[in-house]
Amino acid sequence: MLLLSTFQSGCKSDFELNENLKGFTFKLVDQDGKPVDFPTQFEGKIVVAGFIFTHCPDICPLTVNNMQLVQKELTKNGDGDDVVFVAISFDPERDSVALLKKFAGMREIDETNFRFLTGDKKITDSVMSVMRIVAVPEDSSLVEGDISYFFTHTDRISLIDQRGFLRKEYSGSKANMEEIINDIGKLK
Amino acid sequence: MTTLKLLAALFVITVAAPKIEITEVWMRPNGEGMNTAVFAKIKNNSDKPDTLFAVESGLAKVVEIHESYEKDGKMKMRKIDYLVVPAKKTVEMKPGGLHIMLIKLKQDIKKGEKHEIGFKFRKAGTVKVKIPASDKSPSTKNH
Repeated sequence: MLLLSTFQSGCKSDFELNENLKGFTFKLVDQDGKPVDFPTQFEGKIVVAGFIFTHCPDICPLTVNNMQLVQKELTKNGDGDDVVFVAISFDPERDSVALLKKFAGMREIDETNFRFLTGDKKITDSVMSVMRIVAVPEDSSLVEGDISYFFTHTDRISLIDQRGFLRKEYSGSKANMEEIINDIGKLK
Repeated sequence: MTTLKLLAALFVITVAAPKIEITEVWMRPNGEGMNTAVFAKIKNNSDKPDTLFAVESGLAKVVEIHESYEKDGKMKMRKIDYLVVPAKKTVEMKPGGLHIMLIKLKQDIKKGEKHEIGFKFRKAGTVKVKIPASDKSPSTKNH
């Protein structure tokens, strides 16, 4: 049973959350097949995390596009070096390393600091639990012998600070890019 | 004078707007075997409502009219059997809302490509449109 330890700061903050994720290390793999310990590996960097499945036609591409726009803006301003973008799949049974690589390539994403993560289903389920993401498969059907299904899911981008503390949650598909960029600036 | 009136009437007929106009169409790129969504503005110039009841495309194994919506803080999606476009009104299919679902793509759809899709209306018949693959709406000015 994973429990989220919470550290409450006594002082005023620009952020609604201050939840310690440092006790968690999830062994995932990125779009290049490289192992990634999420979120431990990114300590010292600000993490912008989205939660997706690549067969999603509407909401998840919006989330990834919003993350990409934030990445582009930070890069343009020379502020992107200490920020990492991760899109974690809650559909690892379909989202293979190769598929994540193709998904990133088709969207012309700058993969320098943008990781797409997948892994064992039990582990990705644990990530979703800790990050408060609900993703329930629905609307399954057979299309010419192939199973097709979608998810009812939380629409979320999360901001994790350099210490590995979850600091803020945004709507993924309706994210206000300026708000995220301003919040990243406050964490620096 | 009668001839002039006749010519004027013919001119009006010739330049009259189509009953259904489909503009600002676009779809997101995605890979073979996956899904994507088509977005558009559908304007009904006629005096009577018309109904979009199907969309034809060779790009995907299944093509359906869908709607994304939020319930209890979660994003969900549902199939819509038909879409009524009221007389003299525009219905917008946009990200996070109404869209055409291309399920199980038969080929990669790459950014910059254009593909023809037919929107089938009860009154106006089939309206064919070339749809560009892009990561944003044609009306998006920034970014």
